[in-house]
Amino acid sequence: MTSTDPTLLPAAFADLAPLAARWARPTENERNAVRHAATAGEFAAFHDALLPRLDALLTYLRDCPPRPEDPAQRNALMLACAYAEAAPHHELYGGSSEVPFSFDARRFVADHGDEAL
Amino acid sequence: MQETIATLDHIRRSVPQIREELGVDPIPVGAIRDPAIYELEKERIFRKVWLKVATAWELPDPGDYKVKELPVADTSILIVRAKDGRIRAYHNVCTHRGNKVVPSKGFESFGRARANVVTCRFHGWVFGTDGALKSVPMEDAFGHLDKACLGLREIACDEWEGFVFVNFDPEPAQSLRDYLGDFATLFGGYPYRESTTAFRYSTVLKCNWKVALYAFSEGYHVPTIHAGSLPGFRGIEHSDFKLIGPHASSTIYGAGMDTAPSTGIFAGVLHGSDSHAPRPDLLPADINPKRRGDFQFELPNIFPNLLIHLASGCGYPGLSYFTHQFWPLDHGTTLWEGINYFRPAANAAEYAAQVHVNALHRNAWLEDTATMEDTFTGIMSGAIDDMQLMDQEFLIRHAALTLNSYLAGDKQ
Ligand code: FES
Ligand SMILES: [Fe+2]
Repeated sequence: MTSTDPTLLPAAFADLAPLAARWARPTENERNAVRHAATAGEFAAFHDALLPRLDALLTYLRDCPPRPEDPAQRNALMLACAYAEAAPHHELYGGSSEVPFSFDARRFVADHGDEAL
Repeated sequence: MQETIATLDHIRRSVPQIREELGVDPIPVGAIRDPAIYELEKERIFRKVWLKVATAWELPDPGDYKVKELPVADTSILIVRAKDGRIRAYHNVCTHRGNKVVPSKGFESFGRARANVVTCRFHGWVFGTDGALKSVPMEDAFGHLDKACLGLREIACDEWEGFVFVNFDPEPAQSLRDYLGDFATLFGGYPYRESTTAFRYSTVLKCNWKVALYAFSEGYHVPTIHAGSLPGFRGIEHSDFKLIGPHASSTIYGAGMDTAPSTGIFAGVLHGSDSHAPRPDLLPADINPKRRGDFQFELPNIFPNLLIHLASGCGYPGLSYFTHQFWPLDHGTTLWEGINYFRPAANAAEYAAQVHVNALHRNAWLEDTATMEDTFTGIMSGAIDDMQLMDQEFLIRHAALTLNSYLAGDKQ
């Protein structure tokens, strides 16, 4: 859980604030919960908006530490991580929130699942 | 290094040699189905051979400890870096009346022994990280207490390349180095300890531990079960078979896969960085000895329950290596642990890219694990008595034969 406003992004990415509000979360477990509840349309919209900006977003993040303290930098990283995990659902899994023909993802325990970025 | 190549030629096998040496007959599934076999496995394998339980970089400083629950050995163990810098292992059992010295949550947990001591919460007996019993409240009231003999019960513990192994045999038949044998040479020298960024997943599977182990021990399943997460995987070749005593190894080559657009961009970040780019030059000399450009990873089976897939960034972008372990909880229940290891990210872009690669790989594991409970149910049904194994499933054949020879008491 974060007390800072997740929609506060670096100026160049300020227009992505609604996506940040919908997807960006500090921990893998929280991002998983968002993913597991998302629809094909939402995955598509996230992908269509983010992919064209991904290069720029990663270029920006290259100048940030791996665990940024600055709120805008941290939110930009949370957004990138949310997309990192959401993209395959659109690109590979036909919009399904589950990996097709897979084990129940909720039974996988991530040691780092509650570690905040 | 040239010398190493020459010395390891004896572990290499062609396909005809593998067939000749291990046979081509179906392998009975009785060892998976029969609960009595599990009791024998506990006694003749899990209490006799070296088992990986930790890594040195999980315990960087003196006093750092890990508690691991090992139902397969009917115990909880305390692995601790002692004051002298050495990692030691003990039964996590208080010598007063048997309470757990360090209470634990889940199958493994970590902590730090302050002032290099751990204190049992029941009555306050204090043990040093060297195992010695240091102090006993109201010691005089015991009449006689031989503190020198009441240290924590030590378990043989040794390290190879920073992987920490224990052996429950009070007098192990072999040192860890001898047990690993040529495996230690084949996989030795890679800077494992530099890849300290770990994404660890675990789950409890309703299947015998060997079902889970075998599912991760072959490349035959990749084009089918991973059609979702590894689409268009081209030119997969599972070759360079090696037999190494109880262990075995092999190589997965492949021309790669149809990369999704997002993966291409994330991969670019890692491939553009010195510490995450493919480093075939860091592979030990006997792995991918021709330094083929389509090398993906080396797939070994370290008897009885460990796989270390060494990629050096050549397969999944930036992925240094990954490990699987399969801990029986009982005959039909297994704790699976899968860990992806990367070098630490130098910036937030590298970290986000690692999160992407980790997610792709975790999702592939979700495809792998999907088969295991069904496979076990099928084997338990009694409908089949054997498994049919093809060449690329030789690690399974070899592990099953090795298991049989341990159970028969041919090896110890
Ligand atoms: S059982 Fe540990 S102090 Fe009594
Ligand atoms: Fe697989």
